[in-house]
Amino acid sequence: MDRAVVGEGVDRVDARVKVSGRAAYPTDHDPPDVAHAVLVQSTIAAGRVAALDTSAAEAAPGVLAVITHENAPELCAAQGEGGPVPPPPLQSDRIVHHGQTIAVVVAETFEQATEAARLVTVLYARAEPVVDIENPRAEHVRDPFGTDDATGDVDKALAEAPVRVERTYRTAANTNNPMGPFATVASWDGDELTVHDCTQGPSRTRSDLANVLKAPRDSVRVLAPYLGGGFGAGLRTWQHTVLAAVAARQVGRPVKLVLTRKQMFTSVGHRPDTRQTLRIGATRDGRITAIDHEAWQTLSIDDANYEHVSRCSLSGYASPNISARDVQIRLHVPSPGSMRAPGDAQGNFALESALDELAHELGMDPLELRLRNHADVHPVTGQRWSSNELRACYRTGAEKFGWSRRDPEPRSMRRGRTLVGYGMAGTSFFFYQASCAARITVTRDGQAVVGSAGMDLGTGTYTVMTQLAAELLGLPLGRVRVVLGDSSLPRAPSAGGSGLTGSMGSALHDARRNLIRSFLDLVRDDTDSPLRGADVDDVRVEDGRIVREDDGRGESYTEILTRHRQDELTAEGSAEAPKEDLPVVPTGPYAAKFAEVHVDEDLGTVRVARLVTAAHCGRVLNEKTARGQIVGGTVGGIGMALFEHTVTETRTGRIANGTFGDYLVAVNADIPDLEVHFVGGPDPTSPNGTKGCGELGVPGTPAAIANAVFHATGIRVRRLPITLEQLL
Amino acid sequence: MDESAAAQARTAPGQRAPGVARVPVSLRVNGTERRLEVDTRTTLLDALRDGLKLTGTKKGCDQGQCGACTVHVDGRRMLSCLMLAASADGREVRTIEGLERDGTPHPMQEAFVRHDGLQCGYCTSGQIMSAVALLEEGRAGSDEEIREFMSGNLCRCGTYPHIVAAIREVAARGDHA
Ligand code: FES
Ligand code: FES
Repeated sequence: MDRAVVGEGVDRVDARVKVSGRAAYPTDHDPPDVAHAVLVQSTIAAGRVAALDTSAAEAAPGVLAVITHENAPELCAAQGEGGPVPPPPLQSDRIVHHGQTIAVVVAETFEQATEAARLVTVLYARAEPVVDIENPRAEHVRDPFGTDDATGDVDKALAEAPVRVERTYRTAANTNNPMGPFATVASWDGDELTVHDCTQGPSRTRSDLANVLKAPRDSVRVLAPYLGGGFGAGLRTWQHTVLAAVAARQVGRPVKLVLTRKQMFTSVGHRPDTRQTLRIGATRDGRITAIDHEAWQTLSIDDANYEHVSRCSLSGYASPNISARDVQIRLHVPSPGSMRAPGDAQGNFALESALDELAHELGMDPLELRLRNHADVHPVTGQRWSSNELRACYRTGAEKFGWSRRDPEPRSMRRGRTLVGYGMAGTSFFFYQASCAARITVTRDGQAVVGSAGMDLGTGTYTVMTQLAAELLGLPLGRVRVVLGDSSLPRAPSAGGSGLTGSMGSALHDARRNLIRSFLDLVRDDTDSPLRGADVDDVRVEDGRIVREDDGRGESYTEILTRHRQDELTAEGSAEAPKEDLPVVPTGPYAAKFAEVHVDEDLGTVRVARLVTAAHCGRVLNEKTARGQIVGGTVGGIGMALFEHTVTETRTGRIANGTFGDYLVAVNADIPDLEVHFVGGPDPTSPNGTKGCGELGVPGTPAAIANAVFHATGIRVRRLPITLEQLL
Repeated sequence: MDESAAAQARTAPGQRAPGVARVPVSLRVNGTERRLEVDTRTTLLDALRDGLKLTGTKKGCDQGQCGACTVHVDGRRMLSCLMLAASADGREVRTIEGLERDGTPHPMQEAFVRHDGLQCGYCTSGQIMSAVALLEEGRAGSDEEIREFMSGNLCRCGTYPHIVAAIREVAARGDHA
């Protein structure tokens, strides 16, 4: 068998169906007799719905139902397995943010529902909204996750430090804005609910929906074989998903509900804005003696959000004194949620900017400062890392980029009216692996089908699982088919936190072992089989055959199944998250990033000219898709650094730029070729050696760019996005 | 979507609805004559997707700001969410489903696969329709030109460098006609 099926840059197995327009996304499902639902959202940010008049909407052509808090069914506020579920919709007259759903209109057609939604009239009782992170009226939630941590005595170390940097950094709210508007198509058949949904976790959405609707979990099926991106927005079961199911039950027909782009800003989460204070103390020769990181982030009034912003400072550098604290500020804003490296993206910007400021203060090369303070062990617990090639990332990245050509003096490298700047940043992402199950079936004709409820939101899960299964079963790629994104398949965690490949890969490992064991059980007493009596540890697989390690004798899956008159054999397997009390700390991926920016001296415009990433992602299952993950994340990071800013009007709480015309994202012309180099080897924590890589693109990118902007201009920008006003 | 399934799908949005202004429209879509009746408010995008079940064309914003809905109308690229179906009457429309010839993918589709010019795939139909038009417009002479003229097609997955590589390759080979 060809053992090189893993690691190679194999084309995406779902690429053909996607380039031909045949992949069916949730919005592409149109069951017979489907009705269309459109949301009505509030135009105030705080207060109550004092009165509602739905009569004109109800009388409009084609309208089947108008559901408001006055007639909505009672729903259950559920605590989900995978984190908090957003509060159920339409349960009271209370309004806690602008763009909160206050009614859903169901009609025969999308046009009719849209028209009727405009006819719903609402009388509000307004209250004064609080929408600014610095507003003293806002409620502060300290240590919201119980993860604040400290070692040593930071205040004392800072007081004694010969060199100190104390700075405040801000990052803007960003909106995920996957290209595919989120949508749900819900159909009831008696008490059975089938939902095509934009979710990154079919298993989770199924259990959340069952809880909220008070339905047995087995009666709900959630499908998401293809998703038009999510970037974290699909990690929670949002209100529109619940409402589509409620509406479908009410009208007795399938219902399709597609959010508008504007509603994508208010209904499926966003990256919360932050205000972070970093204090770093160091010796004159550049040894860090103290890191103090306090991170404020915004939160909605009635929801929860797990977003560890300051965490990166606990493990980033070898300082004897560290304190990292998170604070959530409750505001009249839509629920935040995960977005591409949630928390780390913002925290890393502050930490890595402060490091750059310290390097400048010390007159030291920023790369040298990082190498000098590299965390050889976990700085708080003193444990060893499961694997950590960050040093190699720095070395490789610097060499590929040509870091040694950097003149340390800010504003020293120019080409005509263009100021040229080099900047760098490091990043480490946490390790994440969750409980996952998978199933493998091998059929008599020597084909394998792999199934798991986990999904592929564009990350390459279909492809890498095909490769992994081919390797684990000794089959060519073309004989393996992977079925994903269906909650009726073995349960899987959501696709997020760079954790799905590791989780599902480990489950596949276990399923494969159980499957081989089933084959060996079948031939246990079979005198015709060369494998008779063999144990799973005595065999390997190659070329569609199971063979004995000792004498190389064996037979194919087909031969075994044929002789025993079986069409197929199936086995399930599962894997749990690694135990808490391991002697080493399991580590996620690492990267070093090097950016070259060009700043127009007259206009203040910033362009990223080059960006080199050197990454340690453990074993890379597919160079092509892994590179795509990092490139794509880097594009997101460039957007965070230079463009993306969800603007909330202070007085009204309205999002002022809720369109693709006003909310700027990176476009093709903004992006140079992006270099990615993989360094380092497999990680021993997972049986497949992977670490994940998807979340590695964003963190580090904004800091590398801001540091390069400082080098180009001598101006330190501590507020993202970096805009021209800040540079003129 | 195969042709026969699409051909059967004559139901346009709003068919059952009373009290709506409806107009007959006839289009030539991917070489086949199509007749349907649409709500006067129906966009070309919704008519293709809901009326003709050609769901390969995607809706990303419905406001002319993302490029996901790009199709060719009379040989030129067009944002189908900005055009009313009624005003496309009598025109020639080409969608992603019409790029293959006799089951062979267009060279641009192949190049997107090879260069991994897609991730989630949601923007991909629009990217490919724009890319094909770009070559026909003779605007793929350099990377800068490609980047510039592909900037109306957003990709949130961030595949831009791979899209540029795919277009660069097809342009260099010159077999895209
Ligand atoms: S859907 Fe037409 S441009 Fe976005
Ligand atoms: S591939 Fe996902 S938006 Fe472009």
